[in-house]
Amino acid sequence: MIVAPMQSFAEILIVLILATAAIIIMKRDMGSLIKTYAAQSFLVAVLALLFFVETGGLSLLALAIIFLVSKVLIIPRFMGRVQKKLNIKRDVQFHFLSPITALIASVFIILFVYLSFAPLIAELNRFNSSLFFLGATVGISTVFMGMIVIFTRKQTLTNIVGYLTMENGVVLFSLFLTELPLLIEFLIIIDLIMLTLIATILAFGIDSTIEEFHARLNPFTSLNKETERKDEEED
Amino acid sequence: MNILLLVVYGVLNVLFVLFVSPLFISIIKKVKAHAQGREGPSVLQTYRNLAKLLKKETLYSQNSSWIMRATPYVNMAALLVASLFVPMLVLPEPTNLLGNVIMFLYLLALAKFFMALAGLDAGSTFGGMGSSREMAISALIEPIVIVVFAALAFAYNTLDIPQMFSGALASSVLIDPVIALIAISIFIIIIVESARVPVDNPETHLELTMVHEAMILEQSGKNLAMMELSSAMKQMLLMGVLINILVPWGLTADFSPASVLISLGAFLLKAVILAVIIGLFESSCAKSRFFRLPGLFAIALFLSIVTLIIEVFA
Repeated sequence: MIVAPMQSFAEILIVLILATAAIIIMKRDMGSLIKTYAAQSFLVAVLALLFFVETGGLSLLALAIIFLVSKVLIIPRFMGRVQKKLNIKRDVQFHFLSPITALIASVFIILFVYLSFAPLIAELNRFNSSLFFLGATVGISTVFMGMIVIFTRKQTLTNIVGYLTMENGVVLFSLFLTELPLLIEFLIIIDLIMLTLIATILAFGIDSTIEEFHARLNPFTSLNKETERKDEEED
Repeated sequence: MNILLLVVYGVLNVLFVLFVSPLFISIIKKVKAHAQGREGPSVLQTYRNLAKLLKKETLYSQNSSWIMRATPYVNMAALLVASLFVPMLVLPEPTNLLGNVIMFLYLLALAKFFMALAGLDAGSTFGGMGSSREMAISALIEPIVIVVFAALAFAYNTLDIPQMFSGALASSVLIDPVIALIAISIFIIIIVESARVPVDNPETHLELTMVHEAMILEQSGKNLAMMELSSAMKQMLLMGVLINILVPWGLTADFSPASVLISLGAFLLKAVILAVIIGLFESSCAKSRFFRLPGLFAIALFLSIVTLIIEVFA
């Protein structure tokens, strides 16, 4: 069982994860969106590490290391590079909800998750402590908040950040309620890296302007145009 | 005996706030200057400015009324009383007189209200503009301030600020998880209330951006000194709330010189660190557009409402 100071430290980490999810909903600046995601993953990794210290389960240590390498280092680096290449600095277009309404909506979501979990938690809770209740609800709330990011933002890169936030929420939930086998967690991470790779490559097509994309697709078109113009002048 | 200790506490706390608050303004300026690659003014510069202003003649516009004359004194008085409410070094024994959080907020609101009136009073365009902007920002931030302090009151089960601090002091390391959330909200409130960068720029007198500076543009001499000192005090009081809620270590209920000295050292250390953080935060972001500000406030509101949810249901 988790001792008191550890428990309050874990609770602080959990609420900070919720705070980073709120910041991801609000932020318009691409660079800081990706940095906030990295910070969120770091918090999840620290949480896993804390659980390892407490319970001594080696799979938790492995999980923390995998998170640190993949979600704090590789994925944000890669997305940062893609963002620089795409030359998108801000994401200022929104569907359906403005960031502020999205944030207020997420307050209601958290409330809803809390209320709907309250009767269930006694059945699922392995350790019967308030920490697990908090962690599980914040995990599910984070999933929903990631979903809000996906459907309110127009830029594909931001949607990917939303998707990754959802995944962080699932990890948080699984840390607290059910313990997935390490192999499955590992495969999920690999899937995640592949998916981010593919999605960012697709983002090149979706997010870059049509002119740019066209120029990249047909590198010789501009040459052709020049020769055509020369031909016309000669005529 | 009890009354005597209370008087000692009051004098100590008010003098401490009065004389130390300009220091943090200078430290923030210094950090910002270093971030921009400049040397920056000495940390004593704010004191020198205040001393210079105190010696200068006070001029009033012909169109101004008694409001212009009364505002600096009202501001100063409100802040002096408010500084009785936030124990910086020593915790007083609980009384019903001092420390009510609602009273504290209303004192700050009173000072702000008179400042906005004085901005309008002289009839200059800039003053009116500053007042209208300040009121628009206040209307947005005030509900958030109330929710944040309500969450604090709920977390510590009291409306009394010194009792909140002693609650924070008594609980274990890093206390409640929700305090982390409240701390972020209070940080945003400090930024807004002390007119710092994403909301207002304290350095410029550019008509496009100034809010706080526009309101005190018509003040001069001694009155200007009082206005500047009172805004420095307001910043320090809010910083004190944040520090003593989040990291109350060193705060003491003991009036012996040794423990007061330890408390003084600890507070100065923590406050200087906080001032450096505020300076770095200010340097890291640009002044945002007026209509984007609600976004910043919404984060504070979200965090404080989540605090309430967690406190009520968990």
